[in-house]
This record gives sequence, structure tokens and C-alpha cells, in this order.
Amino acid sequence: MTSAMAPPANREIGSDVYNEKLGMWVFLGSEVMFFTALIGSYIILRFASPEAFAAPGNVLNIPVTAVNTFLLICSSVTMVKAFAAVQDGDQRGLRMYLVATCAIGATFVGVQVFEYNQLVHHGFVPSGYVAASEYAAQAGTPGWPESVGVYSSSFYTMTGFHGFHVSMGVLCMSFVTWKAFRGKYTQTDHRGVEVIGLYWHFVDLVWIILFTIVYLM
Amino acid sequence: MATSALPHADAHGHEHDLSFIRKYIFSTDHKIIGIQFLLLSLIGLFIGGLLAITLRWQLGFPGEAIPGGGILPETMAPGGILLPEFYNSLVTMHGTFMVFFAIMPLLVGVFGNYLIPLKIGAPDMAFPRLNMWSFWIALPATVLMISGFFMAGGHAAAGWTAYAPLSANPEWTGVSGGQKVWLLSIAILGMSSILGATNYITTVVNLRAPGMTWFRLPLSIWALFLTSILVLLAIPILSGAAIMLYFDQTIGTHFFDALDGGQPLLWQHLFWYFGHPEVYILILPAMGFVSDIISNNSRKPVFGYHSMIFAMLAIMGLGWIVWGHHMFQSGMNPALGTTFMVSTLLIAVPSAIKTFNWMGTMWRGNIRLNVPMLNAVAFVAMFVIGGLSGVFMAVTPVDIYIHDTYFIVAHIHYVLFGGSLFALFAAITFWYPKMFGRMMNSMIGKVHFWLTFLFYNLTFWPMHNLGIGGHMRRIYDPSEYEFLQPLQGMNTFITISAILLLTTQMLFALNFIMSWFNGEKASDNPWKDNGVEWTTPSPPPHGNFPTVPIVYRGPYEFSSPLVEEDFLPQTRKLEGDQEPGAAQNEGDR
Amino acid sequence: MTEGAHKTHPNYWAIWGWLLGLTVAEVFVAQTALPRQLLVLLLLAMAVWKALLVALYFMHLRFEGNRMRIFAIAPLPLTVIVVVAVLMEFV
Repeated sequence: MTSAMAPPANREIGSDVYNEKLGMWVFLGSEVMFFTALIGSYIILRFASPEAFAAPGNVLNIPVTAVNTFLLICSSVTMVKAFAAVQDGDQRGLRMYLVATCAIGATFVGVQVFEYNQLVHHGFVPSGYVAASEYAAQAGTPGWPESVGVYSSSFYTMTGFHGFHVSMGVLCMSFVTWKAFRGKYTQTDHRGVEVIGLYWHFVDLVWIILFTIVYLM
Repeated sequence: MATSALPHADAHGHEHDLSFIRKYIFSTDHKIIGIQFLLLSLIGLFIGGLLAITLRWQLGFPGEAIPGGGILPETMAPGGILLPEFYNSLVTMHGTFMVFFAIMPLLVGVFGNYLIPLKIGAPDMAFPRLNMWSFWIALPATVLMISGFFMAGGHAAAGWTAYAPLSANPEWTGVSGGQKVWLLSIAILGMSSILGATNYITTVVNLRAPGMTWFRLPLSIWALFLTSILVLLAIPILSGAAIMLYFDQTIGTHFFDALDGGQPLLWQHLFWYFGHPEVYILILPAMGFVSDIISNNSRKPVFGYHSMIFAMLAIMGLGWIVWGHHMFQSGMNPALGTTFMVSTLLIAVPSAIKTFNWMGTMWRGNIRLNVPMLNAVAFVAMFVIGGLSGVFMAVTPVDIYIHDTYFIVAHIHYVLFGGSLFALFAAITFWYPKMFGRMMNSMIGKVHFWLTFLFYNLTFWPMHNLGIGGHMRRIYDPSEYEFLQPLQGMNTFITISAILLLTTQMLFALNFIMSWFNGEKASDNPWKDNGVEWTTPSPPPHGNFPTVPIVYRGPYEFSSPLVEEDFLPQTRKLEGDQEPGAAQNEGDR
Repeated sequence: MTEGAHKTHPNYWAIWGWLLGLTVAEVFVAQTALPRQLLVLLLLAMAVWKALLVALYFMHLRFEGNRMRIFAIAPLPLTVIVVVAVLMEFV
């Protein structure tokens, strides 16, 4: 019986991995480099201009983001459970866990938007402090730089693009979920589930690194 | 015909049922997409050439009105005399178009698309629809880039390297919209390249025909494969950096401006971390094509096939740790500079190995000096010169003198024109029959080659002298500098040669267009080559091969003692050849 | 890989537990007044540990062949090189 997930027809030539999965891993390689540019720049700017960076707990809301981190990790678990379900032929489990992943993923984005809202409200925008804002009033006190432009620039760009990747992930995940409800994934062919799963775990992985470097250090 | 047992043909449907638009415009066939890229990038090449001639006019005849300059608006060239701001734009856009919209798409977009499935024996790419997207993302990116010329303030003018902080602040170049459009266009084009690279890599790994082991792949495919890895990993760095620069310009971030804690050097590091692998992207495929073509026209196997591959792997690996040699003058950490000098000197070695191997291939071969071969041999010779000048630059104390002079410009053009472009002339002529079913005219091809070779050397060789004489890059009016005045004659000479060089390219364009309609009809295998693509009609049908090709040997079995003919195709079975799958080495997959 | 290899799945809930625990530990450690370098080292170690758990068990690298692992690891040296090299400008 041939399965679309079995290695390609010409068994002696090629990898052990079907095209879509190989393609996604290859693509994720490029994503690693993209986030290297952004997160790497944050690290470098932090070293180069430490005086421009606030102590993380002052500007950023660590408790809320810690919970958000936990949420994203949960969504990774539901994702892999969905994949395990379809591997076992459990259609109900597949659908349930996919819906959960979408929901939690969307929540993560929502919390991020909330966080951004809060930051802007307090006077922290990509170009730095907003004049005469609550945060600007703190400028110069311990843990609060005089000018915070470099910090805000890199913070918003990194987390913004991560959030963008999560959003794209939620969109694709919704599409996969819809297909799952239409019965398009079987025990023998569930490539779409595995492939979106890889993307989703990657996005979680980036956040794990990002959260630590940006929020905790 | 197309509906018979084609492997992987599930999604294609019935070929003859597709509308004109689905077949030729929004096509998922790698061959059509390759030709679409060909037409687009030849236009890019032409634009790049025009930009070069225009800026050369100012250098050759400073302050004189350019013939036909009346059509340019007052903001660019009042009375036909180029403004300094416009000149900066020209310099920037010449580099931009040539690198991103000509050479890169020609080498990777055209030949990657066209050759990979055919030469590995596959019916198409692993992801045909993604492939279509690659082109249809590249096209708007090109249009966007062209639109920059029409923006108020003119097009980007901070060099193709867009160094911050000059590029970050519209006040300093006078350019606002143009620079933003430049960044957006590059970011969008980057997406196209990354998707393409994903496709190529997956295809080469998974879709090879039975018997096509890694060490039976033609060097052109090895080169395209390794180039794709470079594209995959280097372009996202540029995308990230471009986005940060774009934000600096639009929403007031401070990544690269020192006024608020930003780091201008960060741009340089990020740009060149991309930029150096980029230059290997611009040369590796050319090396691959030249290997195939030289072997074919010497009727001899490539000398040192395995070392060719290891050399390319070495270039690919070392290429990541040499980027600082573009920045020796930047004020970077000198200890870091030393490590870059060492790694840069090292990377000359694999290139040299390849050069000796090409010569070894030709040695005592049955040489046929047809148009592809002439261009391919020119590649080798000119690349050597470009590589040698590179060795000068690798040595930091020497580079301190010649950095940002015309010596660098000479080097760039020897490797990119003398190297990549001659290889492209060779490759286009060589694979044209397969693409269009017709031969290009050989006589015009030879005249084009010799005139190009002549004018090209007359244009770019003197730039070495200019550079040693201290002539800076990108300056508008050399006559302002007393020490440059004795060199003005050379500048004028270069300009005239450049004009003649561009004019000569009309021959190539003419040949290309005329042969499409009137060229001699091509057989399946006009060059008597061994590659799998020559076993199928010219041009190949949709799906490429009526049955899955089986490969029995490597691609360079020319003048083999096993057969009477002087070539032995990869797919031809001889007595005693084992079918693939019978006791193959595990590690050889 | 064929379905047979996954008759027994890894214990995903156990991994979840580890990830949760490590996250809590990270937040906790970040609040302490440890010397800066030690703090950074610890936090990075925990972050990498979490990342490995996700990569090995959720992305199934633990069960893939070497080729897949090479694809996955390949970009990482490039990340390290650029960050370390540029940091040398500022140290």
C-alpha cells in the first residue's frame, strides 16, 4: 500500500522524508536566519548601548507575558496531540486538539496585542518614549534610560515579527482545522497536519528563546 | 500523450485542456517559469546596462550634456547634464539591477528552474505551484523597483549597499520614497528567492531519477543546489536588516543611527553577512555551467569531478566567515579584521583548484570552439584575473589603500561580467536549443563574443590602473581632484569602450530574438551531450519524460572506450550495466 | 517514517510538565539577585533545554534520521558566528 507519507517512489534515491515535510524543514532554516538578524541585533545593540535599555521588569509586563509563554507552550502540546491523534486514526481527537491549538494561538496573539496597547498607553512606542508620558517621566531614574529608542526599536521589531509569524500560523492552522473537519486527513495521509505542526513548534521555539532574552535578562 | 503513465502527474490534469493563461502566464511548469524569468531578467540586464552607460558618460565627459539627455526631467539632468544626486542614484541602481534583477535571477531563477528537473530526471519541481508563486512575487518586486525612478526625490542613492546612516535619513540623500521602495522591493524579492531555494533543495534531494546518485549529478546541478542553500540562509539576513532600515526611515526606530544609541556598523555587518554569501551565489552556478560546457566541448570528462564538488562545498562553507573583508576600513575591531584576512586568503584555494580542473579538462581534449565554449573559456580566464585582484584585497594593509577605489570596481566586474556574464552567454547559447527548439546563430554568436571580449577588457582593465592611481568609487566629478586630472583620459577611454560594449550586446539580443523564429531547428541532442535533458525533445513536453529515466553512470563519459561515439549518455544502458536498486551503497543515496 | 514507529508516542504531557516547570524556574531565577553572568548562563541554559525538548519531542527530531538532524542544526553555527563576531566590536 502506498502512502503519501512514505518515502518517495524511487526508494534508493532521496531522503527518508516526503516532499512537504522536507520543504518545511528547509524553509524553517531560512526562518532561523531571519530571526537571527532580528534577535541577534537586539543582543548586539544591548551590548553596544546598554544605557539605552531599561531593566525588563520596568517597561515590560513580565507576569502577563510569562502566562502567555505558558499558553503558547500549551498550544504546542495540543498541536502534537492532534498529530498523534491522527496517527492513531482518532479523527475526533484530531479535530478537538486542532481547535484547541487555534484557540490558544489566537489568544496568544490577543494577549500580545493587549501588551502592545498597554505599552503604547504608558508611552513606549517603537521610536522611544512618548513625550510627557508616564514612562517618559521615569527617564533618568535607575532602570529607566534617558532615551530608550534603541530598546523600543528592537523590542517591537522582534516581538512584532514573531507575532506576525504566529498570526500567519493561526491562519494556516484554521485552514488545516477546517480541512480536518471535512475529513481530509487520514491515518495514512496527514501530511498537512505534520507540516503545520512543524511550523507551529518552530514559532513556539523562537518565542522560548525570545522570552528569555528579552523579558528575563 | 501527456496523460500516460507519468509519475507524480496527479495534479497536472490534462495538458491540452489548460487555457492559454494557465499554460503560459500562470504556469506551474518549471520550463515556462524558467523562460518567464529569462525574459524578465534580460530586461533587468538591459536596464542595468543603460544605467551604467549613463553614469559612465558623466565620468568620461564631466559636465557635458549626454546625447539624448533631453528626455530626462529637470530633476535628474537639466539640459542633459547629470545632477550629482541623479548620478548617485545611477550608481546605486546600476548595482541594484545588475545584482538582484539580472545576474541572480538569470543564474538561479532561470537555470535553476529550467535545468534542475530535467537534469535529474524529474517531471517537474517538488512544488510546482510554489514555483509559480516565486515568479509572480518577483515580477511585482521588479515593477516596484522600477517605480522608484518616478518618485519625488528620485530613486535610492545610497549605493547598492545602502549603508546606514546615509540610507536611513532622507535628509542626507534627499531621497525619501525611492529608498523606501528600494527596501520594500528587496524584501519582496527576497521572499521569491527563499521560496525558490526551498523548492530547488527539496527537488534535488527527493526527486532524482533512479540511479542518479549524488556523485552522478552534473556539476551544474551541484552548483545550483549549493547556491540554493546559500540563498536560503543568506537572504533572510538581508530581509531582516532591510526591515530594520525601513523602520528607521518610516516609524522612527533607531537601529542604525548613532544619535540615539543605534549602531551604523551593525548595518554593515548584517549587510555583508548576507553580501558575501551573495557573491558566491552570483558565481557558483556560473562555475557549474562552465564545467558542463567545457567538458562537453573538450569531449573529455571533467578533471577532478569529486574535487570540484569538495571545492564548491569549501567555498560555500568558508563564504560565511569572510564578510569582514568588505569592511576593513570601517573602524571594525582590528583583531577581527585579521581573522577575516586569513579566511579570505584561504577561500582563494578552492577557486584555484576549480580553475586548474577546468584547464585539466581541456588539456589534450578534442576542443570544439563553438560559441558556448568560447564564452566558457573566457569565463575561466577572466575569473582568474578577477580572483587574483581579489587576493590583493584580501590582504588588509593593501586593502586600506585600494578600498573604495576603482581597483575594487575592476575586481567586481572581472568576476561578475568576465565571470558570471560570460558564463551566462555560454549557458544561454548552450541550452537555448533545449528551451526553444532552435539553435542560436553561430556566426552572430562568435562576432558577439569577440567584440564583447575586446570591449569588455578595454572597459574594465584600465579600472585597475585608475584604482591604483587613487581614483575613488562613486564620485561624481573626478575633475574636482587635482591628483585625478592626469587620469581623466583613461576615464574617457573607458566610457567610449563601455558604449561600444553595450552596443555590441544588441547582437546578442538580435540573435536571441531572431533565432526564436528563424533559427535552425534543433534536434534532441545538438551538442552530443550526456545529460538527461538531452534525451527528451527540444523543447520537452509537459512532464518532461514519457517514462521515468534510469541513470547508469555519471554525466561526463566523453570519449569513453566502451562505445564508438565520443559521448555516452547517462541514461543509455550498456551490457553489464546494473539496474539501480541492485546492491547500491547505503551512503551513496 | 512510517506509522509503525509511532505505536507508542512519547509522553507529551510529561514534556509539557517539564516545559511548565522550566518556565516557572526561569521566571523565578530572573527575580533573584545572582551575579549577572551566572544569571545569564542559567537562563540561557534553561531556554536551550526547553527549546531542545520542543525540537526533539514535538518536532520529532529524536526519531528522525541523521540527515534530518543535520538540516535542522545547519543554520545554528551561522547564528552563533554572526552574533559572536559582531559582539567583538563592542566588548
